Parts: sequence; structure tokens; C-alpha cells
Amino acid sequence: MLKVLKTLRWAQPVRALSAVTATSGTQAHVSPTTPVPEPDKLYSKLEIEMRGIDPAVLKSYTWFATTAAEHLGIEKGKCWSPRKAHHERMTLLKSVHIYKKHRVQYEVRTHFRYMNFHKLTGSTLDTFLEYIERNLPEGVALQASRTELQQVPEHLRQPPEQV
Amino acid sequence: MNFLKKLVPQAAAEVQQLSRSSIHTSVVCCRVQSGRYRITTKRNRALTYEMANPPHFIGHRKSWNSWNTSTLKDALRPSQTAIEDVFIRKFVTGTWHALVCSEIIIKRQHNTIRIAALIRQAITPRKMYFLIGYTEELLSYWMQCPVTLELQTVGDKKDVVFKYI
Amino acid sequence: MSAGLTRLWERLPLKKHAAQSRIRVFSNQDQPEIEDDEEFRVLSLRTVKQQFQRRQQVRRDPITPPRTTRMAVDQDWTAVWPGPRSFHPASVPLPLRQGFTERGAAAPSKFANAELMKIPNFLHLTPPAIRQQCEAIKRFCTPWPKGLETEAKWQRHFPIEVTTTDYCQSLPTIRNPEARKVTVSLKLSDLRFDSHSRDKFLRLVGDRYNKETDILTIVTDRCPQKKQNYDYALYLLTACYHESFVTEPWEETKSEADMEEYLFERNQSKISAEGILNWNAKEGAPKESPSKSYANSVEQLINEGENEYNLGKYKEEVKKMLNIV
Repeated sequence: MLKVLKTLRWAQPVRALSAVTATSGTQAHVSPTTPVPEPDKLYSKLEIEMRGIDPAVLKSYTWFATTAAEHLGIEKGKCWSPRKAHHERMTLLKSVHIYKKHRVQYEVRTHFRYMNFHKLTGSTLDTFLEYIERNLPEGVALQASRTELQQVPEHLRQPPEQV
Repeated sequence: MNFLKKLVPQAAAEVQQLSRSSIHTSVVCCRVQSGRYRITTKRNRALTYEMANPPHFIGHRKSWNSWNTSTLKDALRPSQTAIEDVFIRKFVTGTWHALVCSEIIIKRQHNTIRIAALIRQAITPRKMYFLIGYTEELLSYWMQCPVTLELQTVGDKKDVVFKYI
Repeated sequence: MSAGLTRLWERLPLKKHAAQSRIRVFSNQDQPEIEDDEEFRVLSLRTVKQQFQRRQQVRRDPITPPRTTRMAVDQDWTAVWPGPRSFHPASVPLPLRQGFTERGAAAPSKFANAELMKIPNFLHLTPPAIRQQCEAIKRFCTPWPKGLETEAKWQRHFPIEVTTTDYCQSLPTIRNPEARKVTVSLKLSDLRFDSHSRDKFLRLVGDRYNKETDILTIVTDRCPQKKQNYDYALYLLTACYHESFVTEPWEETKSEADMEEYLFERNQSKISAEGILNWNAKEGAPKESPSKSYANSVEQLINEGENEYNLGKYKEEVKKMLNIV
């Protein structure tokens, strides 16, 4: 078990930029204390929710994001959208004063679309998310929730000795 | 709309006076007439595509003039965005006086605002470049965000006419 | 009067002619003469109308033809349309049309078409452009570590899941108050407890623990920042865990009526069973205690309620204990 953990720590990828600085430090021999590469974070899931007024724009954007994920080698999960949009309605009288039976409705529709990506390292997630956020079309709101994996902290592994 | 108050200090007082007078522009009152045009006897009223389709066709035959996320569900600052859009429209139509042939399209992407419109080729390119810079500079100062003008020019006003009624 | 005027008029061109011929001598050019003196000049008293008829010609700068006419077929499109931009017909060499018309009529063309300018276009995100950009940013990506392919594998080493949310909207501000929420969840079987501390921990966390899935979820949104909320969630987890190992003096006074479940060890039924088993036993002889299966069946009967299976099992156990076969 312990051995597995050790190998795992070695196999864990390092953050791209910090790795570069570490290697350059060793090559140049300028700084005697080479910075310890910070272990990268691991994300099991990245869920992206998009909201927009035009479903066609959302569809095109989903196609773009999934194509980019394919090029970057990211595992794609379920991509779906609810069949009906959210309608926010307001009902008013049609005339100014009376005629209660004649009403008029205004509505604002919000279409939703969801995408899921699995098994991303921290640097991959940052790169990918920034790329697709930069190319977000107008009139689309994006909401990205990420699930980070963490080890149990040291002080919670063993029951406290003195209480 | 603090910047509007800064812009016209006297106007703020006038608005307060006006609000007491009996002008009413409620939603209910404008609904039946807004965005609909009557047929003339001579059949010579020119309509653009935008004007030819009444408001209930938005999203079906024509699309929105303002693209932002403030109107969506659970979005932030919807009222500020709407008022800023009105201000941008008024400013652009006034600055490009008698030159704007279409509706002014305002697209918001992240913190940038992109304004698109159809402009008549009635002034020299030199003046046009000046007006572009002037509009972008002043609007970005007031909105505190980068503003880009993406204009398309048409030779004549009749180029944008969709039909006559 | 009029005769005198005409005579004067006839004499005038002679002088003109002379002047022109003199000039011709000097310039020595072969120009055709303009003979405008043949027409009679009309005397019009109302000259106002004629002056206005001459309209000023509007001088216009020549307009260059659209760029699409000069585009090569095999051009690099990503250089033509590098970023997000409203549609411009002179830059897009596609015969696009957009708009609803009555049946039979063609849709409005791409020139002076506001509908095409409205809709957000993805012309800067064509498949070659995406591939090109992804190849450029691929060097910042790192592969998923080996040995953690399935969920069961990574849950053994990384049991805690922290969920945070980012928002991206078209607003002048990048702050969203909802982004402060942090959700920390873990399986309770990954923490080590004894029976007392587990019971106390479950009482402390309350409904944050899901009994069916054995998952504890802590959602924090009290602090204004995401980092603060994350620290607070871990603080809550640590504090509850350590607190559950503390045994307060008043916990010893827990009576039988306060017990949440029936325990065979500390009940009357154990004493009765022992009494039956050690009937007529001599003083000092080792005491017989009821078997474990009997204890289990009694606990099951009282904790789960009386049903056919539990009653039958209890019957078997009693028969076995009393040696009635």
C-alpha cells in the first residue's frame, strides 16, 4: 500500500510552469536551493453549464468545446440539454385600464446546455477552461464547477491520541 | 447611472420635475403600437427588415439587438445593462447624425462591448474615422470597459429597404 | 433702341476674334475655335429658377470593391478572421442569405443585412483554427497519472472531493457572489472511528451525512472568499472529528432509556439468560454465558422489530440454548 502511494507521488504530474523553473534551476546551477516542484492538482470532473437565449449558438459552442477537448486529449463525458427552456413570464393587461379578460404575456427564455469532462490534471484544466472561456460568444453565460480530488489531511488520518 | 448624472448635472433636476408631470409611458400603453407600422395610402413607407417584422417575431424571424447575459435566469445587474444600452443607442445615433440606417446592435462579451451598425456613406472616410475614434473613446470612458465599433457602410439609404407599405 | 443694341452685339465678336487670334500666334496651338456667338442669348427676367436648377454635384470618394473579389481560393482563413467580430460581407467570401420572406422571394443577401450582423458567428473558430490553436496550447497540458484510471482506484488515495464553481458572464465585473460556495464531501468509511466517536460525530454533523451512500457533505458559504470558505470547511471537519473523541463526564450518565438502540450486553435479558444457564451451579465454578448467536438474535429481534424471520431465528436460538430439540 505504502509502496503504491510512493510510486503514485512520483507518477503525479507537476505543474507545467513550476516544472520548467525547476529544471532550469538545476541546469544553470545558479540557485543552490532548487524549488521543489509543486504537485499538480487532480480534478475528477469538470461540469460546464451554459445559458443563452439562442439554442443554436449554444449548440455551436458545444461543438467547439468538445472538438477542442478531443484535440487536447480530454475525456469527454455526457453532453446534454434539457428539452424545454426556462420561461420567465409576465402577464399584463392588454389595455390601459379595464378589460380584464384581455391579457398579454411577455416572456424571457433561457436555454440550458451541459457538458462534462473527466479526469483532468490542474494544468490541463486551467488551459482548457481558459481557452474555451476566451472564445465564449456574446449572450452566453458559462458556469464551470470543478471537482478536485484531495488526500485526507495528516491530522485526520489517525484518531487523536490525547483529547 | 452615475455617469449620466455627471454628464448632465442639470438634466437630473429636470427629470425629477418631468416625473411629476402627467407623461406616462407604461409597458401596457405602448404594447399595441410599438414596433408596428401602418400602411400608407400611397404605399411608399420604406421599412427595413427589422421594421417589417413586429416584436413578437423576435427569436423566430429576427433576432435580438442586445446580446448580453443580464436577461438570463439568475443573472446580475439586468437593469443597469438595459439603461446602458439605451444610453449607447442614443449616443451613437446622435453622434452619427442622420447616418445610421439600421438598429444599433450591442454585443457584450466578457467586459468588452461591441457595437455594430449600418452607416450611410454620406461623409468622407476621414470624418468617419474620426467619429469612430471619438465614439469608442468616449463610450469606453463612461462604461469603464473597452468599446469597439464594427460598422458596415451602405451606399444609399434605399439599400437597407426591405419593403414598402 | 433695340436696333442700336444689336449693332453693338454684332460688333463685339469681331474684337473677340481678334484677341483670340493674337493669342494663337503666341501659343502656336491648333485649337478648334468655340463658336458660341451663333446662338442668341435669351433675355430672361426671372433668372432665379434657372440658378437653382443647377444642382451641386456631390463629390464622392471612390469606393473600393469588396475584399472578397481579390481573395485567393487557398488563402489562410485564420489570418483573414483571427478573432471574434461581427459579420462583414466584404470579408466573407460566402454567398450567404438570411431573413424570412414570403414564399417565392429570395432571402435578403449578405450586403446591408443587419440580421447577419446580429447573430454571434463562429467564423474565427473553424475546424482548422481550432486544431491550430489546440496544438499551440497542448504543451501546457499534462496527462492523467497512471494507476488512477478508475474511480475506485483514485478514491482509495484521494477520498476527499472539493467542488467549486466559477462564473463567466458578460459584465464589467468578474466577481460573482455565488462563486464563494465550496462543497467538501468524503466517505465516512475513510475516517477512523470507534463506536462512541462515530455516534457522536454523526450527531454533530446532523443531516450533512447521507446514510444510504455513507457520504458526508459540508457546504460552506459564510465567508466572502472561496479560499476562506474552503479553510472553514476543513476546519469544521477537523473540529467535528476531534470533538467526537472527547468523552464528557455527563455522557456516563446515559441511562437505558436514552439509548438509541438495544444492546444485549447491558440489558436485563443477558442477566436472565446467564441465570438460566448457571442454574444450580456450584460457587466458584466458571460462569457460562449465552452464545453470541443468541445475543445477535435478541438484538435483531428488538432493533428491527418482530417479523417472521427474526422470530423464527429467536426460537431456534432459544431451543439451542436450552437444549430442547
